[in-house]
Amino acid sequence: MTLAFMRNKVVEVEPSSEGAISVSWRLLDSLTTGEIRMKFQLPDLEIKEAEARLQRFPHLECSEALKLIQRVVGVRVGPGLRKIVQGLMGGSSGCAELTEGVLECCNAVILHFTVPQVQVNEKGSEEERRMRFQAMLKLNPRLVRSCVAFADDSPLMEGFNAK
Amino acid sequence: MITFSRSLLVGGEFLNETTLRLHGILEDHIYAMEIQMDIRIADGVILAIEGWMKRYTTPVCPKAVDVLQRAVGLSLREEGWISKIQREIGRPGCQHFAEILVECGRCLDAARMAQAMGETIRNEPPFSPFQIAQSWVENHPEVQGSCLARPKGKDDAH
Repeated sequence: MTLAFMRNKVVEVEPSSEGAISVSWRLLDSLTTGEIRMKFQLPDLEIKEAEARLQRFPHLECSEALKLIQRVVGVRVGPGLRKIVQGLMGGSSGCAELTEGVLECCNAVILHFTVPQVQVNEKGSEEERRMRFQAMLKLNPRLVRSCVAFADDSPLMEGFNAK
Repeated sequence: MITFSRSLLVGGEFLNETTLRLHGILEDHIYAMEIQMDIRIADGVILAIEGWMKRYTTPVCPKAVDVLQRAVGLSLREEGWISKIQREIGRPGCQHFAEILVECGRCLDAARMAQAMGETIRNEPPFSPFQIAQSWVENHPEVQGSCLARPKGKDDAH
């Protein structure tokens, strides 16, 4: 069976010298080729720059969506981000692909900060790792019950006290 | 230097006239996992799903593979299907499996449109891709109203 459709998305994070984080996002599929470039200012992860380009798209109107991305400048990565970005760029008068692209850029910034934590957690005994996971949950209480690993009955949560 | 990179690849193949199979592969600095799911085209219902965890962060993560079965029977056409996947697959299982599943689900209509465009291009050259896409949207009310390029049909406005 041959493929009828293929989509390839790549997002990359690169810290820049002026205390900012640059993110590049590219979408290439059977119908669309596009990219987003964003810059986030540390320490509050405010979106300082955002631009989008579409090289190939299925509908003439898609190009009108490009200007919508300017609306997210000034937004900070934090609670409620999905709802905010969807309100600014999504819905029936927006563009689902670019909206998801912006959210994926923001998610990549969070994962950029998660990588060193995960690297530290890879070392040590099972007990040491469990304690480090629990310390991470105290710093990020939103992760509690966010997945099977941090569910109440997970062995990683034994003895965990959020306070 | 790139400090974090993620690639998400989705491939779609039509098994027959009624079923679309989607493969989703996620690979990044932290996670590597994969999903294959079969979708009934007519109503977007997930008929079957399999998942593989190849790289993950905790010894508990692989338990999320079994949780994927909760997606069987869910329709990618029902209102709030993305939230439902986060609730039924992400929180009790794995958020990254949920991300792949959502991306695969978002490819359902794109795959259908790409297939229709491919057939038209093969059968009726010369062609205008924009005209084919517009015509496809006009004939598929289920995708209308999803973005600025796909307004709701005139009949639905009242």
